[in-house]
Amino acid sequence: MDFSLNDEQREWQMKARKFAEDEIRPISLERDAIGDPTKTFTWEIIKKGSKLGFRTAAVPKEWGGHGTDFVTQALVMAELARGDSAISKTFSQCWKWSHLIAAVCNDEQKDRFLKPFLADDTFVLGKGITEPNGGSDNRLPPEDAPKSGIRLKAERKGDEWILNGEKVFIANGSIAKLFFIDARTDPNVTVRQGTTMFMVPNTTPGFRYGKVFNKRGWRFYQNAELIFEDARVPDANVVGGVNGSERKGGDGSGGDLFGDLELAANALGVCDSACEQAMEVALTRTQGGQRLIDQQLVQLRINKMHMLTEALRSYVLRVAWEHDHKIHSANAGLVMNYSTDIIQTVTETAMEIAGPVGGTMHPGIEKLVRDGMIWTHLAGDAVQRMRTVRRHILPKTKAATH
Amino acid sequence: MFNLHLSAEQLEIRDTVRDFVTGEVKPVTLKSDRLDSCDRSLPLDVLDKASQMGLRTLSVSEDNGGAGADTLTSVIVAEELATGDADVAATLTETARLGHAVFDTLMNDEQRERFLNAFLEDDRFHLALAEREPDAEIELGINYHRPQGGPSPLKTTAVRSGNHEWVINGAKTCVANGPVAKLFAVQVATDPASGRNGVSTILVPRDTPGLTIREANGGLAWHHGTSAELVFEDCRVPAENLLGAEGAGHGRIERDGPQFPAMNLGIGRAAYEAALDYAQIRTQGGRLIVEHQAIGSKLADIAVRLEVARHTIWYVAWAADHPEAVADRSISALPLKDIARIFTSEAVHEIAKDSAEVFGAMGVMRDMPLQKYVGDALIFLHSGSGTSDARLRVAESLVGFQRPAGNA
Repeated sequence: MDFSLNDEQREWQMKARKFAEDEIRPISLERDAIGDPTKTFTWEIIKKGSKLGFRTAAVPKEWGGHGTDFVTQALVMAELARGDSAISKTFSQCWKWSHLIAAVCNDEQKDRFLKPFLADDTFVLGKGITEPNGGSDNRLPPEDAPKSGIRLKAERKGDEWILNGEKVFIANGSIAKLFFIDARTDPNVTVRQGTTMFMVPNTTPGFRYGKVFNKRGWRFYQNAELIFEDARVPDANVVGGVNGSERKGGDGSGGDLFGDLELAANALGVCDSACEQAMEVALTRTQGGQRLIDQQLVQLRINKMHMLTEALRSYVLRVAWEHDHKIHSANAGLVMNYSTDIIQTVTETAMEIAGPVGGTMHPGIEKLVRDGMIWTHLAGDAVQRMRTVRRHILPKTKAATH
Repeated sequence: MFNLHLSAEQLEIRDTVRDFVTGEVKPVTLKSDRLDSCDRSLPLDVLDKASQMGLRTLSVSEDNGGAGADTLTSVIVAEELATGDADVAATLTETARLGHAVFDTLMNDEQRERFLNAFLEDDRFHLALAEREPDAEIELGINYHRPQGGPSPLKTTAVRSGNHEWVINGAKTCVANGPVAKLFAVQVATDPASGRNGVSTILVPRDTPGLTIREANGGLAWHHGTSAELVFEDCRVPAENLLGAEGAGHGRIERDGPQFPAMNLGIGRAAYEAALDYAQIRTQGGRLIVEHQAIGSKLADIAVRLEVARHTIWYVAWAADHPEAVADRSISALPLKDIARIFTSEAVHEIAKDSAEVFGAMGVMRDMPLQKYVGDALIFLHSGSGTSDARLRVAESLVGFQRPAGNA
């Protein structure tokens, strides 16, 4: 067992910490407070971060990226999230699909899309799966309702595919230049067997984004509606093969594995920030002339926050290490589910310490609680927990039937 | 005999308020553009209608022109109102509760003569208690089980000017209903030299020269209803505005009653009802989500918490209506109000989050009511001096800890 970081990992971690402290934290609360969800985002921070490598960190070196390992990626996501969870996610969303491109795109596609992605500080990526009538059904397709799930339709017409339908809550929806879109190419079979993944540039005729969702937390992060009206996508943009979305986008790609680690690492950064901000309150605020930290209840709460945060850190880094050693276990799913519980407990405990002063809540900690709520439907809801069991914990012969 | 069988009148009032909330409150307060912009301004038309139904003066005795509702009825009404909007509920409940304390128990005939008609006739005549002061430490916290706990000495003073006037100077903060109240009951030190025993309560009408009212608002203002800071600068009121005896002390008007957890409960019920409705129309996994174990058991947990919380609140209210049952030890002498507050605020926080989770991603969208319920539940969890302090008060009472006289 060796828990030490190598020089490269340490260097990325410190670079991310400095960027979070110098650039992200100073704008975090003001961006979060903007009421119009289309206005919370700013390219400035993305451009600055991109120049430091945070947008392209996960692209393999042979394709011109930084080729960071999973441990480095986890460290960087946590450090950025310590400054602002939603800004960290905007960067790491690009890594998620960098992994996918590296794993499943052919060389011609990599050439067409990775090069412009690497060259342009404002080239961010997104992926569209969820639809108004298909959320959980795409993550855990029901055996007894084979036609449930994705309805966005793709029909072949010559060298093109014609896409019609709608996606909702799509990450980076209003800002991404390239989307990976899952569309139904065979309506007569299950979503797993009849779905194809397409690369859809935002300039595609017949494609546009609609409403940007106004979320309680993660306000910087842009989740939008994507609308396809006879959108024309070249056949050369099919990723992996027709009706192959599930196989290609699934565990084999690295994209899915990364997604689990991503949410847990981001949660870790939020927990670190909660510990830090709560400690500051406990050390500076007084009651009866004594610091809050002198009270037993406050010490017990600080203890709980640190205990849970450190447990999460150990788990996150273990999963990152497993990924780097090509060990596939249930841990990625489990740490993602676990992070949902921990981020809420830790941020809510910070709020117990901070409380309202003079009738006003601590703004930084209040934001962390709102950001923490986002996990409830991403990483730790019942569907994700059952998915972890079915995909990773059940003996393989049993799992295969699901 | 302990009896929670509601009277025909109580059932009727519950149904009437429920219909009012469905028909008149929710259509205003849950409009998606209002939710989307986190607009928490008071809907004055809704409050007017509620006043015309008698809800503003609910707890004021019938002799004094109110509905004369007992505590149990008032908690039922508070829950119903809060299912529509916590801010509307908080505003009405505060006025109704103070209306009973002030007009029924503390005012003399001459004062009633001067203020009662104006109060009854004006739908927008609200009441406020000005008690807390800026920088005063209200937490029990570090003073748990130590003799020095209890309210700090007041810095707001009232000095007699001749025989005819009080001259008030000082500042108050976190005054619930401050922005809408037309009459304030202000706690002041009338005999600062004697310390805590010199606390008196003086009635100050809103338009009194020397009184400045500043509304506290914004998304981080951690209270329901409205709240204000008051500044008194040589603010003069007639000597006859002294409420009760001079130096009668703190605590003659309770800071809050069981209506407080009842409003909290209303938030939980609104979240539960929304989740239950949605679970019966949303299909995933080939069937309605209510038919999935994961959702079904979550809804059951919510229902369990709601029922236990409601029972606890009703028990507190019944005890308040039957002091003889506490006196003869039929009912626990522990601080039941704190017990109800602790259980309800923690339960409703979980209820609101669980209910939001039933909606998936829609549960975190600002234009949907669920995120409002979660935010409202968090406010209840930490408003005032919070649940930690309530726990410490219960802990002190378990061993009968009492502060030396004058410090409580």
